[in-house]
Amino acid sequence: MSDPQAVSPGPVGSGRTRAPGPGLEGSTPAPEGGAERAGVGQAEVLLEVHNLQVHFPFSSGGWFGQGRGVVRAVDGVSFSLRSGETLGLVGESGCGKSTTARAILNLVPPTGGQVLWRGRRIDRLAEREMFPFRREMQIIFQDPFASLNPRMTVGDIVAEPMKIFRLYDRRRRQLEVVRLLDQVGLNPRYLNRYPHEFSGGQRQRVGIARALAVNPKLILCDEPVSALDVSIQAQVINLLMELKRELGLSLIFIAHDLSVVRHISDRVGVMYLGRLVELAPAEDLYRNPRHPYTQALLSAAPIPDPVVERQRRRIVLTGDVPSPDEAHEGCAFADRCPIVEFDCLRISPILQGARHRVACLKAGPETGNGEGQGEVSGG
Amino acid sequence: MAAPLLSVTDLAVEFSTDEGKLRAVDGISYSLNPGETLGIVGESGSGKSVSSLAILGLVPYPPGRVTSGAARFDGVDLLKLRPREMSRIRGRRISMIFQDPMTALNPFLTVERQLTEVTQRHLGLSRQRAQRYAIEMLERVGIPSAGRRIFDYPHQFSGGMRQRVMIAMALSCKPQILFADEPTTALDVTIQAQILELLGELQRAEGTAIVLITHDLGVVAGVCQRVNVMYAGRFVEEANVDDLFARPRHPYTVGLLHSIPRLDRAGEALTPIPGQPPNLAALPSGCAFRDRCLRASEMCGQAVPPLTADGKSTRDGVKGGQRFACFHPHPVPEPAGAPTP
Repeated sequence: MSDPQAVSPGPVGSGRTRAPGPGLEGSTPAPEGGAERAGVGQAEVLLEVHNLQVHFPFSSGGWFGQGRGVVRAVDGVSFSLRSGETLGLVGESGCGKSTTARAILNLVPPTGGQVLWRGRRIDRLAEREMFPFRREMQIIFQDPFASLNPRMTVGDIVAEPMKIFRLYDRRRRQLEVVRLLDQVGLNPRYLNRYPHEFSGGQRQRVGIARALAVNPKLILCDEPVSALDVSIQAQVINLLMELKRELGLSLIFIAHDLSVVRHISDRVGVMYLGRLVELAPAEDLYRNPRHPYTQALLSAAPIPDPVVERQRRRIVLTGDVPSPDEAHEGCAFADRCPIVEFDCLRISPILQGARHRVACLKAGPETGNGEGQGEVSGG
Repeated sequence: MAAPLLSVTDLAVEFSTDEGKLRAVDGISYSLNPGETLGIVGESGSGKSVSSLAILGLVPYPPGRVTSGAARFDGVDLLKLRPREMSRIRGRRISMIFQDPMTALNPFLTVERQLTEVTQRHLGLSRQRAQRYAIEMLERVGIPSAGRRIFDYPHQFSGGMRQRVMIAMALSCKPQILFADEPTTALDVTIQAQILELLGELQRAEGTAIVLITHDLGVVAGVCQRVNVMYAGRFVEEANVDDLFARPRHPYTVGLLHSIPRLDRAGEALTPIPGQPPNLAALPSGCAFRDRCLRASEMCGQAVPPLTADGKSTRDGVKGGQRFACFHPHPVPEPAGAPTP
């Protein structure tokens, strides 16, 4: 069960590292043992994240810096994303899902690991070198109130990225703004209005139009619907799914709402204390969660059906999420885990498996699709 | 049938704003029975929080004002009480917890000071006894090393622990009614499950009636027996929890249920409610929901549909009957009844 390879701190991910190089665009071999197949076939791998780390040093006062330490916000996250795919990242507050997104974009500099965009390393790039990549990777944020400049009209907000990347002339940009507003379901007549004149859902549409303005390949969505009312959430979710289909976008969709993530994602990664503890095609993960944390998370999420709710058995976890500022020996989930064993306290499990990957010493064998390396899933 | 513990009739609350007078709550009525959990579901601006604040005498005046209604509790109308009389009931017999415990707890006082204040004042305990009781309460709500942690300040607790402190404080006088306003919205799901479980346990032990105000239909399905759905200051549907989910009648309720993806089902398309949340300053005439409603007709603009039971629905007149405020309700799926196919 505790395969020695499972605990070796060695190479990241499935133990295969690829020499990153420039010549890989277009025909990229699957980096994770052919595991990425959730409905996107063998599309190009756009993004690879290897052992990403973001550690924030802190000092909690004291004249001689006694209180120094490190917050391990992201602590060894690896995954890849194909063109046209939606990867959901779920986890509770402080698990590092947003920091992972920001580190991919170099908005927070990673302190370790690699980020590859179509085979090119981008994690160490200076801002000037990063610039062209920003056109391909856009982000939308949770708070549609804070992420739009209140002094700019909606038209200027959507035009700004085109200006920054010197796309089109002024006239063409105007036309583009109209087209984009229309595309996200806003009346283009509103382009001279200011953000405060819009509701939360409409503002989120403005944010989406702004992200689309430069024709990105990937949009990182950081809790894009959490601040919205229920009746508006569905509008924005449907819009994102439509745009993805029409434009062939890839999405990284970060949210704490498990049912929203299931709905929108092809694959889902579950994060806990800066690590991915499970990564699998969405259906596999929700039908057959392998990590005890995923199981608890799924069992805790309410289902809007009283008949189902009455029959459910909850795994109620005790305690709080521990603070990420201390180095953990062993599994980070061990002190809340209902099936913890002695080994869990000293061995740090790594994410392993082919299609349905899990980081748990006690996870059962990968069922069903595990051996089907050559099988192309139906959907 | 026992008399209701609290009966609210025709409650209305107005706010004076730059845009004129807004009716945040526009004539709602409900009753609450001992030991039950009643859900009030609505989105932001629906008036669900204000309606409870009004009952507790906590609507800020100005700009807010309770313009009509009664809230009968144990023979008195809470809305007519003077502030001093109200403060003898509030916190003791009727208590509340809020979404954000950090703003509800005083950051300058230790948890001990805040917990003992309630029981010293309402139950006349000595400081020493109040302290012992407070530790006991903290233990009951699951705070580890309560005897030591009680001397901490609110910021030293995590979000889930702070919510537990609030619950301990709210329940320490064994209230008959607890208003819980989005008590788990700021919490992670695993902590939410703990808190809801805790509330359920305490409710079973003490027989407290709970008014749960929330936007989360999943939480409602899990803990409420009866539900009122609120839109733009009015109740648009009320039903027992099974009926509400199995055969919602009001188009807004149906719209909400079709807007949320389900964890236990894959691939069902979502059908959002079109349009934007209601703006109280510019509500359409007649039914406030009609400009977002696919079933709306001309008559919906002419009159506000009253909250009534449908002559055809099966549980009319009996307790837990379903009522809705709509001229064109969704039909009851046939055959009614049978919960499992």
